[in-house]
Amino acid sequence: MTPAKERYICANCGYIYDPAVGDPMNAIPPGVEFAELPDEWVCPMCYATKEQFDPLD
Amino acid sequence: MKPSVASLYQAVELQQEIPPLLIGERANANGSKKFRELLLADDYQACVKVALEQEARGAHVIDLCTAYAGRDELADLTTLVRLCAGALKAPLMIDSTTPACIEACLRLYPGRAIVNSINLEDGGVNIRRICRAAKKYGAAVVALTIDEKGMAMTAAEKVRIARAIHAIAVDEYGLRSRDLLFDCLTFTVGSGDANLRDAAVQTLEAIRRIKAELPGCLTVLGVSNISFGLAPQARRILNSVFLHEAVAAGLDAAIVDAAKIVPLARIPAEDREVCLDLLYNRQGEEVKDPLMRFIAHFSDKAATPAEDGQEGDSKPEEQLFQMVMDGDKEQLEDVLAILRQRFRPIDIINQILVPAMRHVGELFGKGEILLPFVLQSAEVMKASVTLLEPFMDKAEGTAATTVLLATVQGDVHDIGKNLVDIILSNNGYLVHNIGIKVPAETIIEKAREVRADLIGLSGLLVKSAIIMQESMAQYREAGLTVPILLGGAALTPKFVAESCVPQYDAPVVYCADAFAGLKAVQEFEAGTLTATVYDGATAVKAMKPGIRVAEIDRTNPVPVPPFLGQRYVEDIDPAVLFSLINVEALFRGRWGYRRGKMGAGEYADLIEGTVRPLYEELQRKALAGGWIQPRVSYGYFPCRAEGDAVIVQADGAEHRFSFPRQAEAPFLCIADYFKTAGEGGDIAGFFVVTIGPKMSEETARLYQADAYHEYLLLHGFSVEVTDALAEYWHGVMRREMGVGGTQAQNALGAVTQNYQGSRYGFGYPACPDLEAHKPLFAFLKPEAIGITLTENMQMVPEQTTSAIVAHHPQAKYFAV
Repeated sequence: MTPAKERYICANCGYIYDPAVGDPMNAIPPGVEFAELPDEWVCPMCYATKEQFDPLD
Repeated sequence: MKPSVASLYQAVELQQEIPPLLIGERANANGSKKFRELLLADDYQACVKVALEQEARGAHVIDLCTAYAGRDELADLTTLVRLCAGALKAPLMIDSTTPACIEACLRLYPGRAIVNSINLEDGGVNIRRICRAAKKYGAAVVALTIDEKGMAMTAAEKVRIARAIHAIAVDEYGLRSRDLLFDCLTFTVGSGDANLRDAAVQTLEAIRRIKAELPGCLTVLGVSNISFGLAPQARRILNSVFLHEAVAAGLDAAIVDAAKIVPLARIPAEDREVCLDLLYNRQGEEVKDPLMRFIAHFSDKAATPAEDGQEGDSKPEEQLFQMVMDGDKEQLEDVLAILRQRFRPIDIINQILVPAMRHVGELFGKGEILLPFVLQSAEVMKASVTLLEPFMDKAEGTAATTVLLATVQGDVHDIGKNLVDIILSNNGYLVHNIGIKVPAETIIEKAREVRADLIGLSGLLVKSAIIMQESMAQYREAGLTVPILLGGAALTPKFVAESCVPQYDAPVVYCADAFAGLKAVQEFEAGTLTATVYDGATAVKAMKPGIRVAEIDRTNPVPVPPFLGQRYVEDIDPAVLFSLINVEALFRGRWGYRRGKMGAGEYADLIEGTVRPLYEELQRKALAGGWIQPRVSYGYFPCRAEGDAVIVQADGAEHRFSFPRQAEAPFLCIADYFKTAGEGGDIAGFFVVTIGPKMSEETARLYQADAYHEYLLLHGFSVEVTDALAEYWHGVMRREMGVGGTQAQNALGAVTQNYQGSRYGFGYPACPDLEAHKPLFAFLKPEAIGITLTENMQMVPEQTTSAIVAHHPQAKYFAV
């Protein structure tokens, strides 16, 4: 399965979701894996949905 | 350990168990006409394919040579080395006589390469530089027996030069004997020149002596030189026999077209004898001259095309299927010609091509292949159909389901619609693509005229979604009864289900992408197509990201801009934009090169080996072709906030920009970032930037030429260059206003807005309404730099963007 702490990038704008940082713009605290983000979560910069994210590296 | 070389993927021993090591010679701009033409057409992908084909045909190492008059050898060679490094399992032989090229390639090649070549032609200058590089990067080196007098002809001369090179490479530069492959450069025995009659004998003798006198050293030979000037079929036999003799003499490696080597066992004994007589210059009894005997012997042997067994073992129908899968257009004509002898063109299309495209679509659906590769497959399909059409009756194919496609009134965006066209038409459907900005009346008329079975409507903007909604009733009143498919960035299943479906009597279907469109057409054929439904109870409601603090500081200082009013700027160097291009969004988003299920290493290889070279190539082409013509109209204007509006003073008049406010906390609105009259008023920046009309022209040309993949690439590139220009100009304006003074260092900095202030694009989430273009155009007057508006306020050319610039430190992106 997805290894822990994997970063994901928004294919639309390039924003990187880093589980170590979380996403303050969406009130997501640090430590939340990308897979655990709620389905309604969107990119804090461009509002792209979760499907538009890609594993970073 | 045995001497070996290596690619990124594997090591290859230079001394094969069954010698020789085969070095593919076709990826050579001097030696192969086909490769040269591909290179001259800048078709690097096809150049790589030439290399790949040789690998498939048994080459252990691939020689790569791009030296050709008028070309930039350094750029070509480094590009191809990078591409090949990712694509080829076989290690590379870097074929250049230019030390700078060799150094650059060795630096970036991720394995152990062979350098081809060094010699003593210049008395010993370049050899030293190349040996130093070879030592530094751990490469093997081919050494030619050439000195200031030219190519050595006799065995004694060849060995003498080999010893001299050995002394420099091994004694001076510390290479090992096993790092050297001596090429004794044979002359032809086919010319009739009396001095060359023993060319083969001298070469074979030199190989034998080098192996004996320079222990550990290897030998290599361009075998086909032996037969220059002879007939092609005879050459293949002679080359094969000579190779056998050379290996017997100790040859380790051969530069050959691996596919053209005939196993000795398959050469009839009498052919072999005639060849050996020529090679060893043996006088005959009846006809003394071995060359005369050779020519006479082979003159009555017509070329047997069956020998050209490049098709391998697969049947042509399997081959065509595979070619669609691989996006491989080479030899398409040949394969189709063979198939046409057995199948009707329509059957080739329906039985082979369409199923292949379906398969490609299924793999895409499963995330196993990426959009760019689907487009390459579609190109093969399209090219096949074009080649088959002359052999088809007019009546054939008209039974296909007919789809009418259009981008709606006022909308100039056609990439989405064109992708649908590409996917549908290359899945066997008859598509009438009637372009952009098409009024509903025209759509109705055309739908009747072509007897469309379905209509597909596209539009990028919010305004276009409204137009789709409004036109539904018009289609109903006109008596249309065919299903309508809707696609576009501003559409949602909810909007289609609630606002469009009820207005029309036949199914209205939301399609998220081109493949959803394909699925809808397939469902239509199966009789299962139904209108989009939206279930609010189970639907996911998107979050609204944003700053949670609603308090906006009212005391921030108002900057002093360098001037008030409007100015044009047209002298921007396009190259400065490249560092601001958001490559992640370009590669993964616009181009569809997403990692998805790929492993990290595989994805890195794809990016570095394929995608980045494509990107760099586009940059080069765009600069060389003058495709990017940055032009800006911008200015700073006194303004004041009034509720949700910003009132701008320009040219002695007041212009009102009404902005929407968020319907929920923190209720943000762009106007909040500007001071009211009571607070002393403020300064607002505005800009309209464009990269000009050339990109649109180029993308249209590619689309017309069915170059789907390049079309997708260039279009995405043009969009990101436009955004880079907006980011660049926003930086200029921040600097001019002295706010933070920071330019986003790169595209990532721009994404996360690590600077003071914000640019809010008109038509984007904080300000979706394009009506703002009306006042904006009144005082920025961008018509003078070639920008116009469509009837629903879209800017033309497509590669244009506009924004209001807020200097307030709390101004960041948000969505209403």
